[in-house]
Formats: sequence, structure tokens, C-alpha cells
Amino acid sequence: MSKPVFLNSIPDLFEHINIHEHKHISFHHHLRNGDDVINRVLSIYEAYNVKDIHLHPSAIFPSYHRILSLIKRGQITDITTSYINGDVGEYISEYGLKGNLLMTSHGTRARGIIEGKESINIAYLAVPTVDQNGNGTGTIGPSRCGSLGYAVADSEHADIVVLITDNIVDETLINPQIDGRHVDYVITVESIGDPKGIVSGITQLTTNPIGVKIAHTAATILTSLSSMKSGFSYQSGAGGISLKVTDYLRQYMETSNIKAQFFSGGITAYHVNMLTEGLVEELYDVQCFDLRAVESISQYEHHHAISASKYANPQDDTRVIKALDFVILGATEIDVNFNCNVTTDSFNTIIGGSGGHHDVAEEANVTIVVSPLIKGRIPIVKDRVTTITTPGQHIDIFVTERGVAINPNREDLINELSQTNINLLPIDTLKNIAENYTGKPKEIGQSHEPIGYILDRDYNRIDTLYKKKG
Amino acid sequence: MNRSYLFIPGNTPSMIQTLDVFNADAIIIDLEDSVDVSDKDAALDLVQTFLETFDIQDTDIYVRVNDYQYAMPQEIDTLNQTAIKGYVIPKASKSLISQVASLTDKPLIALIETPRSVMNALKIADSTQVIGLILGAEDLTQTLRIERTSDGDEIQFARHQICYAAHAAGIEAIDTPFTKPNDTVGLIKDTRIAKSIGFTGKTAIHPNQVADINQQFIPNEQAIHHAKRIIAKAKQNGKGAFSLDGKMIDKPIINRAKQVLTDAKHAGILAGDDDE
Repeated sequence: MSKPVFLNSIPDLFEHINIHEHKHISFHHHLRNGDDVINRVLSIYEAYNVKDIHLHPSAIFPSYHRILSLIKRGQITDITTSYINGDVGEYISEYGLKGNLLMTSHGTRARGIIEGKESINIAYLAVPTVDQNGNGTGTIGPSRCGSLGYAVADSEHADIVVLITDNIVDETLINPQIDGRHVDYVITVESIGDPKGIVSGITQLTTNPIGVKIAHTAATILTSLSSMKSGFSYQSGAGGISLKVTDYLRQYMETSNIKAQFFSGGITAYHVNMLTEGLVEELYDVQCFDLRAVESISQYEHHHAISASKYANPQDDTRVIKALDFVILGATEIDVNFNCNVTTDSFNTIIGGSGGHHDVAEEANVTIVVSPLIKGRIPIVKDRVTTITTPGQHIDIFVTERGVAINPNREDLINELSQTNINLLPIDTLKNIAENYTGKPKEIGQSHEPIGYILDRDYNRIDTLYKKKG
Repeated sequence: MNRSYLFIPGNTPSMIQTLDVFNADAIIIDLEDSVDVSDKDAALDLVQTFLETFDIQDTDIYVRVNDYQYAMPQEIDTLNQTAIKGYVIPKASKSLISQVASLTDKPLIALIETPRSVMNALKIADSTQVIGLILGAEDLTQTLRIERTSDGDEIQFARHQICYAAHAAGIEAIDTPFTKPNDTVGLIKDTRIAKSIGFTGKTAIHPNQVADINQQFIPNEQAIHHAKRIIAKAKQNGKGAFSLDGKMIDKPIINRAKQVLTDAKHAGILAGDDDE
């Protein structure tokens, strides 16, 4: 590999490559709502009126407004991603795409890119700091975001790899997350994003009493299990309830003198504090959720930035979640067969996607879904979820404020938790309790016009996304 | 005896709908201070409909009604046929309790929140239908024109007066709420003070306070262990008085040990035959 070509503006790139020849383009979402790169790159595609673009962003956030502009102009025909939130999701739910929307998990996306199933022509990667050899890292620089886990597969397997940065350093980066040997172009811009939108100052524990009750119950379940002992591994999201579970768990670990082997996934200040207090040995971080996590990743050697493949690629034998004991997840809907939906809301609008949900649910020994039984006057338990994001066989325990349902296929958990004071109920009973308060919701229904598909970790279609009813 | 009494505003459907999930021993649905005047009629409708629709188990439900002159008679008339345990009567006095007794046969909890009602606490506690006294420190200190503090030194007299009156009448003594929902340390300290004075329970203004209040009114492991030893030695000894760890044990102490074990069983931390 020759050294990358350094350029001073994004338009300069298209003096070197033909913008119309490379239709499959990818981006990562580590700069979240602070990302300025995706909009700037796509504005050039819009100006050149590039047709038949297949977009491969690891996720789409509300601030990525240029995507919607190109969809409406018919330039973006297909999207493959793990998560969509905001106007783009609303528009696609209403009108669909010219082509298809494919939604995968984070681990499947990495697998697809590595195996060539998801072929990327150009990867446009916002990287907070790049050295003279094209090595990149997210841990330092004015727009630092911490781990660049979702960008690694793109950087190693795209036909053309373009790093876009606002911080070039002279000294060679030690232990870079992006290997410069794979990089073709480095473009320097004034700013790659707004730090305020990149990471939140602090992630917050829930104080909502229903959330607190649910978190306490989930923590009681965890601490009642015989597998909760020193050396355990754990993952929780950055949602308020999940973090509150982690906080309760921390108190238990302190009083019981239990130490965890590792925490994985998205990392927050709470996880970092537990590392520094000696309650957990390793953090495997695919995405930093707050400033404390960003600072920690370059501060502590046991806080590891890992790629999405190392995190959750089912074909990667060294994947971290292979050894995961417990995971706490959320859901927008769950059904009586424990299928989980985190992709659409009950009105059939795309509001999210698997992210790592399907990956960790499938691999963790105990998968716990936490949610209020009723959200916005709508019961969360359905006869059938609007969209299957994670199949029910991977969900073990569903925790609500009014009781806990255990998947009948986990007799071991049923037997163990039956010995406790935890209020165990069949999931149908939870559904009936919710409907007793709300009444049975009228079915929103869907059109019969497919707009996309949910893929499992082997690329099989597990559900179809349909246009909303007109 | 209920350890925790959780106030729930009567005009908030989402809160009323979940009133039974926070493990409060008792709920006070409020139609008075937490409901704006423009919302009071809708709140009464909501509370009535909820109570007629749902059968709440394992939680005593009370309703705090408004002043007698304002809407209390209509409210009690509306709610008398529901399954609530009783009413919390604001600005309680001996004469007001007599008036309320003509409106309902249900048990009453008297809210002691004026200097006069503090001084008349025993008379109020002795009223037939009154099963508990609640100290209302916010209104009381406002009337006294004194600052309400976290330490609660300014309400020590009222606390003691209410506890003695309640215990003299054989009814519940319920402490005033701790009004800083996010101050867990302050809540625990305040609850411990109340318990040490003789309160049998405490009001909560936020669901997140309930668990800590309940916990403070549960005997700790050390107390349970000591009580078991007293009961065991009393059975073994067969005398009215005996020595244990160099201290004299007699009837009041044996009765207290029995109460500790009863409270522990009530809290679910001791099985029925655990003291055997």
C-alpha cells in the first residue's frame, strides 16, 4: 500500500475519482447528531446529481438531513443500515425507497462488509485525529468521539477509503483504530462536527419511579441468579433504566465483594467509574456514549476500543459477546412469543433498529428486556410485534413494573427464580394486565407494499417492513 | 400498621394507574393541595371512575378530601360506595371529625396541621372513627411563621405530641413527608428520627421514597436476632424476669421482642415459624 493522498477539501477528491462510478458509499455514526461529514459529502453527490446511490451508513441520526433530500430527489435508491431515527425513518415508512431498505444488526453489518456481502465502493469516514501515515483515532482531537468501532470494517474492506478529519498530527499515532495502510485519501476540513452533538456531557440514570421500580426488579433478578458471581460479564445500554440497573448492580457488587470480568458494548461514565473502582477488569467499547467514556479510552489501558466485528460478528471467533453472561435491553414492543421490536413504533413508523440488540440477545446467556408495561397509553405487549427485530427465542426475561415474564424455553431460569419473591407471570397475563388499563388497542395495520427487510445474523429475512397505511 | 403512605395526585391518570406498583403499604389519593382548583371536579371524576373500575389488592387506599366548606361533603358522598379504606381529613379538629362522622362510616386519618390541632391531638385521636394521625408540618410551620428545615428541630414538639396522642389512643402515628425527593440520605435520617420518637409510619410525596421508608420501619437483622434470643430464653426460663447478656429482661422487653418479630413477619423478612 502506498501512502494516502492528502487533500484540502472534499470536492478535491472528485478530481481523483469519478463520483458517478461508485454507487455504494458508507459512513459511520460515531459523531451521532454532531456529525457534519455525512451532510457535506452528500451535498456534493446532490450537486453532481449522482443517481442510484446505495447508502451504507452504520446508523442514521435525525441531523443527517441531506439523506432525506437525496431520497426525495430519487438519488438514493437503497439503504442498508442498523438504525434509523428521525425524518428519514418517518419518510421511508410513509413512501418507501425506489429500491430496498435492509436493516441488519451491528455485528451482521461488520460480517457483511468483511465477507463482501455488503460491498462498499467508498467509505467516507469522519475521524477525529489522523497522522501523516493515514492512521486514525477517535480518542483525541477537538471532535473526539472515543471508539470508532463501527468504522473499522469499512476502513479495511471498502474499495476506496477516505478519511475526513479536522485534526492532522505530525507524530505517529500509537495503537490507532484506523490502520493507515488501508487508507487511500485523507481530507482535512475545518470541522467534522459539533462536539455538543457528538457525545452527551453525562448519561443519566432514570429517576422516573416506574423506571426505578423496573430497574430494581431487574437487578434483583441478576443478583438472585447463581451465575452472578465474580468473573461475570455484562452489558447494558445507555438508556436510563439500563443504567439504573447497572447502578443497583454496582451497589450489590460492592457489598458482596464481586468483581466482573468485562463490560461490553456502548460505554458510559458509570461503566468507567466501575473500572476505576476495580469492580470490573476490562471494558470492551464499541461506542462511547459520554465525555467520561471518551476521556477514559485513552486514559486506561483496560478500556479497549474494539471493532464491530470484534464486538459482535458471528463469524469472528474472538468476538467479545460470545462470552457475555448478562445483557439488559429495551424494546418498543414485545409479543407473547417474546419477539422484540426496536425498529418501529406501534404506528409502524421506523424509529430505530437493531443496533446490537439482536447480536447480544442471541449470544448472552441471560437476556433481560426491561420496559414499562404501558407506554404513552399503549400496551407494550402485543399478540405479534409490528416488526420483529430480535426473534423471541433469544429473549429470556421480560421485566415490567407489574411483573416478570420468563421465556418458557428457559426452564432453568424459571426454576431458579421461582425460589425468590420476584413476581413471575406468564407474558399473556402481563398483556392482559396492560389491556385491562388501556383497553385493546385498535390495530393500526400496514399496507401490503414492502419497503424493506429485517435480516438476521446470517442474512436471512426475518421480517418485512411495509409502507404505512395511507 | 402501615409503614408508608404514598400521596398520589388525584388529577394525573398515569400516576393513579400505577399507584399500586411502588410497594407502599397505603396510598393517599389527593384531591386537596396537589390539585389545582380548576382541576378538582375532573379529579373527583377520575378518582371515582378509577376506584369503581379497578380492584386494588394488598394496598390500603385513602382519599384526602378538600375542606368541609369547599367540597368535602360532595366528595365523600361520591366516594362512599367505592372500596377505599377511608379518608384523610385536612385541617382536622375535634368538631370537624364529628361533622365528617355524619357523612361516612369509613375510617378516618386526621391531618394535624394547625397549632390548635397539635394541642388537641389526643381528643382528635380518641374520636371513634379516627385510626391514625398524620403530622402536616408544612402548613403547621407556615402558621407558626417559622422556617421549615431538613433537620426538623422546629417540629420536635409537634412530633412528640402526635406520637403520644396516637399511642395513647391505640392508633397509628404517621410522620410528615420529607419534601426533598432526591435527597435519599436526608429522607433516611428524617425517617429514623421519626421512628425513634415513636411514629409507626411516614408519608411519602414521591414513589422513589417508599422503599427507603419501608426499609427504616423493618427491624434490622441485629434486632431480629436479639428478639429471637429473648423469646427463646423466655420460653426456656418460664419466669417473668431473667437475665440475658447481663441485662434484666422482663415483660415489657419480652413484648417488644414479640413486636419486633411480628413486624419482621409483616415485612416478609421472617417466615411464620422463624422465631420458634
